[in-house]
Amino acid sequence: MKRLLAILFVLGLALSVSSLGAQSTLVYGTTDKVTDMDPASAYDFHTWEIFQNVSAGLMAYTPGTTNLVPALATGYTVNAKGDEYTFKLRKGVKFSNGTPFNAAVVKWNIDRVAKLNGDPAALVTQYVKSVDVVDDYTVKFVLTGPLSYLPALVATPTYFPMDPSVFPVDKIVKDVGELKGGEIVALGPYRLTSFKRDEEAVFEANPNYWGKEPGIKKIIIRYFADATTMRLALEKGEIDLAFKSMNPSDVNDLMKSSKYNAVKIPGPQIRYLCFETSESVFKDKKLRQAVAALINRPEINQKVYLGQNAPLYSMIPMGMSYHTDDWKTVGDGNIAAAENILKGLGYTKDKPLTFDLWYTPSHYGDPEVNMAEVLKAQLEKTPLVRTTIKSAEWATYKQQWNNKQMPVFFLGWYPDYIDPDDYTSPFAQTEGSKGNGIFFSSKAWDDMFIMEQQTTKDSVRNSTFAKMQKMWTDEAMTVPIYQGNLYIFSKKNVTGVKIGPTLIFNYDQLKLK
Amino acid sequence: MRHLASYILTRILLAIPMVFIMLTIVFVVLRVMPGDPVNAMLGAHAPQRVIDQKKEELGLNKPIMVQYVEYLGKLVRLDLGDSMIFKQKVSQPIIEKLPATIELTLFGLLVSLGIGIPLGAAAARRRRSGGDFGIRLYANVVYCIPVFWMGLLLQLFFGVWLGWFPVSGRTSPRMEASVFSKTGFYIVDTLRIGNLAAFGDVMWHLVLPSITLGVVLSGIFVRLTRANMLDVLKSDYILAARARGIPERRVVYNHGLRNALIPIVTMLGLQFSLLLAGAILTESTFSWPGMGRLLLERIYLRDYPTIQGVIVVYTLVVSAMSLLVDLLYAAIDPRVKY
Repeated sequence: MKRLLAILFVLGLALSVSSLGAQSTLVYGTTDKVTDMDPASAYDFHTWEIFQNVSAGLMAYTPGTTNLVPALATGYTVNAKGDEYTFKLRKGVKFSNGTPFNAAVVKWNIDRVAKLNGDPAALVTQYVKSVDVVDDYTVKFVLTGPLSYLPALVATPTYFPMDPSVFPVDKIVKDVGELKGGEIVALGPYRLTSFKRDEEAVFEANPNYWGKEPGIKKIIIRYFADATTMRLALEKGEIDLAFKSMNPSDVNDLMKSSKYNAVKIPGPQIRYLCFETSESVFKDKKLRQAVAALINRPEINQKVYLGQNAPLYSMIPMGMSYHTDDWKTVGDGNIAAAENILKGLGYTKDKPLTFDLWYTPSHYGDPEVNMAEVLKAQLEKTPLVRTTIKSAEWATYKQQWNNKQMPVFFLGWYPDYIDPDDYTSPFAQTEGSKGNGIFFSSKAWDDMFIMEQQTTKDSVRNSTFAKMQKMWTDEAMTVPIYQGNLYIFSKKNVTGVKIGPTLIFNYDQLKLK
Repeated sequence: MRHLASYILTRILLAIPMVFIMLTIVFVVLRVMPGDPVNAMLGAHAPQRVIDQKKEELGLNKPIMVQYVEYLGKLVRLDLGDSMIFKQKVSQPIIEKLPATIELTLFGLLVSLGIGIPLGAAAARRRRSGGDFGIRLYANVVYCIPVFWMGLLLQLFFGVWLGWFPVSGRTSPRMEASVFSKTGFYIVDTLRIGNLAAFGDVMWHLVLPSITLGVVLSGIFVRLTRANMLDVLKSDYILAARARGIPERRVVYNHGLRNALIPIVTMLGLQFSLLLAGAILTESTFSWPGMGRLLLERIYLRDYPTIQGVIVVYTLVVSAMSLLVDLLYAAIDPRVKY
């Protein structure tokens, strides 16, 4: 017994020693995962978040907003045709290892992304014909055609400069251990000094950072297998901050607690219902309109997400330029309108419209099944519609939409770049629509997309997107349901949490009181 | 000694067809299952050209038999292949995660035996008493409890409400495991560098996951020990020991328990696979970065080579455990000779 007490005493002492100096460090918990530690291959929000903190782009968003401002560039000019952008670079900037930054570095990185042809390479190759070094601090992007949103593209990590002496030119890097020196060498406020996949990532302030010094010297990310454990870890005090993704019930509980700061972020994620428009019964747009009219967005948001998201009435999310609430004209749960259409098409109580409603159980989290059930109930409020709920895991789900096996199905969208084009063309432009299982194709729509993509005139884009959103309620190839809000919970002593609709989480803004 | 060596060799050779059968089952099942790894891997709007290119790159466009033969060919050369999702050798995450699972499973086993054997023996000693009834009830209840639910209860009670133990991970985040991690066995690593604080932290983090895993399986050992002890306690030599006036406690625990242990050791080998299965759920509940969590994540991603690699390693670990148990017989039962 004495021996046991002695061991416990030593362990207790050891643990108390281990907690010393904790205040200079912030521990952040997440259920997200890191993919490839290489901007030429990473194509997911969390890995991009890491690059946004260890590196920087020519342009950047002001923290918490969608305002694009020069970062590694001091400014840019665009030619009259809109297919050549010239960026002036900031002078005296150094990588975390002291290597100087210049135009040749920008060109080397973008050429590398194009050459390696990783998952996000299309963000470069689709738009950029070449990158030319004009002088040490001037770089010119020659584009494949006029493009209005290149400044937004260069703010994505795919365009971020890495030290060419550290990253291999001919190979995608999976883990930091594969890099020369075993560390990402870039231009951000932090250095990633240690990384253990699915366990932790340690960031320390970059002594060579060209911007303002970060508020906290060290940030540790702890990776969780599930949201419940992450919530418990926050309550236990093992982490200072929890972000992505909490269960709705946990969000509700934590919101009620006075122990935590809660930040609600109008996220860039949208959820919507898709129709297979080429072969299924829903090739008739009137049927799509009928189903769309039956959807009751506020009820879904309340019953499934406990009111934590926002009903969405356009495919372009709220807070983004050109957003209009056109779907409000159709209404929510508009049974009379739906029945009117269906009766006109010959559907009756004895011969109702029947179809399978598909969802995927894990990819969008646990509430997905509830969303399917609530929607089924809404659709069946009229005896003229009968649905069967079906589900498939993500890998199967994708295979099925490619094979046109799902007439109606739920999807969600995180943008590749922050522009209304990225919320519309993937669903209504012929090629993008096909890739998402919708198979909508119309020359008139394709022409509208080409126009908005090529023009740099805001007024033209404004009128084009306004027209599109109005027409969307008629074509109804997809129906917006809600815009996801994200929640960050932190201890009371954590301040400076600023995340805007871009979902970029700048660690350097954080402070510990 | 020569017999022992030949026995071990035979057992190792027998493990080869076992691994082969397991692998074949997993290989076939993965490919029969709906869901295409390339679809899971590529972005939502990947064009068909890119999908076809990826399939060719991964060899998924070849006939299944060709894929199977190629896979076996690599395996013979001790190459588990490359992950389809992450551009890395399959062996890399396995080497990283295996120590975490072994540490958890061994401590889970210790908890399981530490609770199961004494309780089973005590129940047998006081057969049909209130204590016996209580212990049997405990054994049945804990065996029925789902591992993840037990884990959540322990996390809430001992982690959040009482605040005694951590609820997640192998170390406190501020301990920065990467600083001391060398072998991946954190207990060994922390002791190797003499970092008592880190050692204490690692042990503290092992408490709740080990108890979760161990308690659920302790029910089996309670019932097994009790049943065997009841048989043994009816034996003539126990009667003789009692007749010689040896104290009851010594009769039960020194004479009875040692003989009752033989079938328990047999079960130990069999239960080890259950422990590994339980570890998959325990790892998820406690965010324990081990093989179980790796397996679950890669199943979602349809990362065939990694799933196969993990199964190969699990099969080898279970085979090794089974061999070890057989060798333990000789130590426990002097009648057993190799």
